[in-house]
Amino acid sequence: MSELMRESLSALMDDRASELELERLLKHSGDKELRQTWVRYHAVRNAIGGQATASLSIDISAGVRAAITGEAETSETPSAQPSKIQSLLRPVASLAVAASVAAVVVVGGVQWGQSGDSSGYNPPVSIASGVSPVGMLNRSGAVPVQMTYGSQPLSPNRAEVRAVYRELARRNMERYMADHAAHASLNTPQGMVPYAKVEAL
Amino acid sequence: MHAVQRRSPRVRQIFLLPALLATALVPALARSSECPSTDPRALAWLDKMSRALSEVDYQGVVTYERGDDTQVMNISHSVSGGQEEEHMSLLVGKGGDVMRKAHPLECVHPGHQLLRLDASSTDDCGISRFYRIDVVGQERVAGRPSIQLTIAPRDMFRYGYRLALDSETGLLMKMQILGKGGVPLERFQFASVSVGSPSTDQELTLNDEAAAHHAKHPVMHAAKQVAPWHVHWLPAGFTLAADADPRGHSQTYTDGLAVFSIFLEQPDRPLPPGEGMVRKGGTTTYTRGIKRADGVVLATLIGEVPLNTARMVVDSIRWSP
Repeated sequence: MSELMRESLSALMDDRASELELERLLKHSGDKELRQTWVRYHAVRNAIGGQATASLSIDISAGVRAAITGEAETSETPSAQPSKIQSLLRPVASLAVAASVAAVVVVGGVQWGQSGDSSGYNPPVSIASGVSPVGMLNRSGAVPVQMTYGSQPLSPNRAEVRAVYRELARRNMERYMADHAAHASLNTPQGMVPYAKVEAL
Repeated sequence: MHAVQRRSPRVRQIFLLPALLATALVPALARSSECPSTDPRALAWLDKMSRALSEVDYQGVVTYERGDDTQVMNISHSVSGGQEEEHMSLLVGKGGDVMRKAHPLECVHPGHQLLRLDASSTDDCGISRFYRIDVVGQERVAGRPSIQLTIAPRDMFRYGYRLALDSETGLLMKMQILGKGGVPLERFQFASVSVGSPSTDQELTLNDEAAAHHAKHPVMHAAKQVAPWHVHWLPAGFTLAADADPRGHSQTYTDGLAVFSIFLEQPDRPLPPGEGMVRKGGTTTYTRGIKRADGVVLATLIGEVPLNTARMVVDSIRWSP
């Protein structure tokens, strides 16, 4: 493994990797030595920070990747003879399949907005009582999350697709808010107040 | 009690009510004392609040804020002949009126059932399984003494709340929805209120009664409707708020404090799968394009829940075979 890669890896750990470095690392993410170095760096950092490292030998990435690939394949089997449009859209589709897994991982690493407790009440340390469909617990979101379609290279369509869906969410908020307010006014203690959220009464 | 007796007469009155209420609710409280670390008085207050909302006559001016947006509205509620009548009239911006008439008192929706302590139920921890609820003090709202409650979620799938309930009637006078770290996302409170039957000059005049929006009420179906799709996962404590829409377009769930609704539609043009969201105050709107054999279906969740809850619920939508 080159010195350059080692430096990029170190930069990534410090959250200082440039797009170029990130791309270089992702391109070589299958490299066994690179992966072991990554695990080792973390172990060292944990040790310095006084945290124990569970095990240096467990690598679940292969399993996760196999699961994602498997799922992507099943979801595409119905189209035996893919049309031109479908083959164009397939990269986007497979990225979206990865999204549910990748998004959770990204969410876990996001620094959530203000942590200062300006309001005086301290939420207790909470334990999830439900079972997550994605198999792991994510942090509660009080702040918008930068979404990702996985760790794969950017598709030229990605920004466009995101913009379309953001617009759809905005439009649907207006469209469905009156229906939602009707249910909220009957099923929460707020009475008619939820109707204040309806843009055009 | 000695500490209470040393307080001023007014403060003692405030304490007297929950005490009276507690006596009336002894059987329920005996059980709720076994519920996970929750003040049983707080549960009794939530029960009282839920009943007050439908049974008490009141009218007043409410301010509602989220971010830079402030709304001011007139709200009135009255009961006569076993039926409720509610009006809301926006006083700023574009204005607008909403009314709900002839709502039978005995029509208690699932969200309110979750807040009420039912003496016949064997498991009556109510929402304390999902929230830690505490009576934390008193404050004055709209010139009236009120009791402060904090409601903190026990998991990361819902928001927290801070409430102020009218000491005399239990009416909800003030409410904040709190995000992570107790950050307020939105709030409303009464600026002025009068309780009891309105005198004629107090009676609310709508901006334009003919143009008023009539608040929807779910149609109750005699036969259980089977929607062509269902959600495979819900945060604990959430339950269907109304019968499924027979057209299969929407479903609504509540845990007594939060409500979210899911709407399904076909996009008006072919779309690749994807997701997008908008947040305003405590309300999250999350739209996901779900790939199906015959194209992408759009699922939109709107509700006062964190983004991750919205994403996980939509992620679990399954169609019946």
